[in-house]
Amino acid sequence: MPNGVNRWISMIGCYMTGIFPRPKELISITRDYERGRTGKAELDKAFSDATLKVVEAQSSAGLNYVADGMLRWQDPLRPFTENLNGVKIGGLVRWFNNNMFYRKPVITGELSWKKRADPKIIDIEHLPKNLHWKAILPAPYTLAQLSEDNFYKDKTELVFKYARLVREQIESSVKQGFKYIQLSDPALVYKPRLAQISRDEVKIAGEALRLAIGGVSARTCLQTFFGDFCQILPEALDFPVDDLGIDFYETDIDGLKGYKFGKGIALGLVDSRGSLVEKVGELVVVAKEIIKSIEGDGVSAFFLCPNCDLEFLPWERALEKVKVVSRVAKRLREEFDE
Amino acid sequence: MSKLFPTQEIGSLAKPAWRVKGYRGERLSKEEIAEALSWGRKLGIADMDTLVKLLNGRDSAEKRKAMLEWSAKYAIRFLETVGLDIVFDGEQWRSEMYEHVARNIGGFEFQGQVKSFDYRYFNKAACIRKPLYVRPFYVEEFAFTRDSAKNDVKVPFTGPYTIVDWTFNEYYEKRLHGKVADFRQKKFEAKRDFIFDLIAEVVRPEIGKLVDRGAKWIQIDEPAATTDQTDEEMKLFVESFNETVRGFNCMFSLHNCYSNYEVLAKYACELRNCSQLALEFANRDNQQLGTGSIRSGYKELTSFEDNGFTGNYGVGVIDVHTVFVEPPELVRDRILHAAKIIDDPSRTYVSTDCGLRTRTWEVSFQKLKNMVLGAELARRAF
Repeated sequence: MPNGVNRWISMIGCYMTGIFPRPKELISITRDYERGRTGKAELDKAFSDATLKVVEAQSSAGLNYVADGMLRWQDPLRPFTENLNGVKIGGLVRWFNNNMFYRKPVITGELSWKKRADPKIIDIEHLPKNLHWKAILPAPYTLAQLSEDNFYKDKTELVFKYARLVREQIESSVKQGFKYIQLSDPALVYKPRLAQISRDEVKIAGEALRLAIGGVSARTCLQTFFGDFCQILPEALDFPVDDLGIDFYETDIDGLKGYKFGKGIALGLVDSRGSLVEKVGELVVVAKEIIKSIEGDGVSAFFLCPNCDLEFLPWERALEKVKVVSRVAKRLREEFDE
Repeated sequence: MSKLFPTQEIGSLAKPAWRVKGYRGERLSKEEIAEALSWGRKLGIADMDTLVKLLNGRDSAEKRKAMLEWSAKYAIRFLETVGLDIVFDGEQWRSEMYEHVARNIGGFEFQGQVKSFDYRYFNKAACIRKPLYVRPFYVEEFAFTRDSAKNDVKVPFTGPYTIVDWTFNEYYEKRLHGKVADFRQKKFEAKRDFIFDLIAEVVRPEIGKLVDRGAKWIQIDEPAATTDQTDEEMKLFVESFNETVRGFNCMFSLHNCYSNYEVLAKYACELRNCSQLALEFANRDNQQLGTGSIRSGYKELTSFEDNGFTGNYGVGVIDVHTVFVEPPELVRDRILHAAKIIDDPSRTYVSTDCGLRTRTWEVSFQKLKNMVLGAELARRAF
């Protein structure tokens, strides 16, 4: 590590970036529930118990922000699909390049929240009062791209409509005490069939973000995954968020060089889609290489994190990965403090 | 097949409680035994006293084997009773399409349950050593089905691309450790090595045994085919299919579902020795009657024709993820609409979208019955 690097890094933190896998006991009860062998009360209790476990895993690992694990989310869009007027729950569609599926939101009318107040899509009851809370929500661009629109004029109108609805939820979360808001935007970078996303599309996504998250009283992040972050450069540098999340299993590191970030970076270095548990020392080397490559480009904060939702892993393996995230951050902090 | 619009199931049926508990050696309730008897009568199964005796008997290896045979016999009769032209055994010998194979291959180790959707999960394995052919895993089931079925038999076979895609690839990724620096490149190369080792060591030996035992039609199930839609991944999929079926004296077809068909269509004509594409469409469609633009769920079928696929189609007309029972008239309209796109009616087979394992036997029976009735209505209308 070059001398003096610690002078420009204000923070090396760590956190989770999405939905946690459900523990075995919860899986068993959800199956029983679906087959009519157990009731709603037992199911609710199982979700509560499992959420406590998720919170405990994060707090004991010393993560800087703690999320509820989103265990009740049937898919990464479902709280919106279920809680908005003007949406019907559509057919099963593959969740990007994963063996996991979501129900397509089918837009049939004017979108609005069914309840004016928070529809309780985040479980705050089980979040500890003494830690900082992180809320994770889908970004408006991804919501619009993955919806079937039979109502609005075009996708652009839809993305701005979603942006206003996402903002309502964010403001509600900030009032509840959330200190960190992540918007997840895989659709922005997942472009397997195109050489590059169009510049106009990136600009629209950025404007929608401004509407959704600009100026909120919390630290904010746009988390990208399943695709190469370099595709949305340089426009992403002007997105109205404090941090940009990058999936390093999909991103060409060399492509990041030469840009002045001026924002924090969430380093998606722990692989949520692979069961091999990464060696801490090796990830520290890679993280240092990345940090070194963008040194002096105005980055002041780094957050170690999984590259995407941990729900692609079984519960036990996810717990191991949480520890890896924490240990890598700790080692980096120690090295920078030397 | 000389008959217009032949009907087929894709593979799985649910396992009745008496099969699940009987296989596990658990005690069955009176209601569960009554259910076995009720379905047995409905399906014209003979010698049910022997089954009841077996269900009440002690757990043993012989009992477990007999349970597989009894439930397969029930499923075959089930599919024949509703009137399907092409049948199998509802995959009653298999725990599930992926797990059954992974449990019978050397080098795989199960890691735990991961979500598929909603409250559905699958037991995901990691490949921790080079795959090893340990024992046949479809051959005995096929032989039993062939001997028990009156109608034509099609063997569902979980494809290598899907097995690899659904398995954590520890062995091959570790092997490339330090040799390939780029994370993306490493994952792709490791996947490629895994697929072709699996085909050579396990898949082709098993297909060879099936063909030797008389299998005439093998359906390669590749639901993961378009999971990754990059050109290099799609070419890898095509290469894996072609290598899987290369040189066997047998008819092969491909089943794929819940995928991007615009992408699959571009590569389908490169599949060699693929006589049929069995595809899911009903899930994408609406429930209104009619043909033409109203049949929005079938628009991607055009892409396969436009891209030059010349084989047959298994057109999904039954949504397997809903309890809604499609009326025969809706089935008819879906068939007629598809047949018009395909142009040549002899290339249209009538299918469910996917296996019916998530539906009860009552619902599956009605759905399949209506599928057969709908096919008959379509024949009359054509």
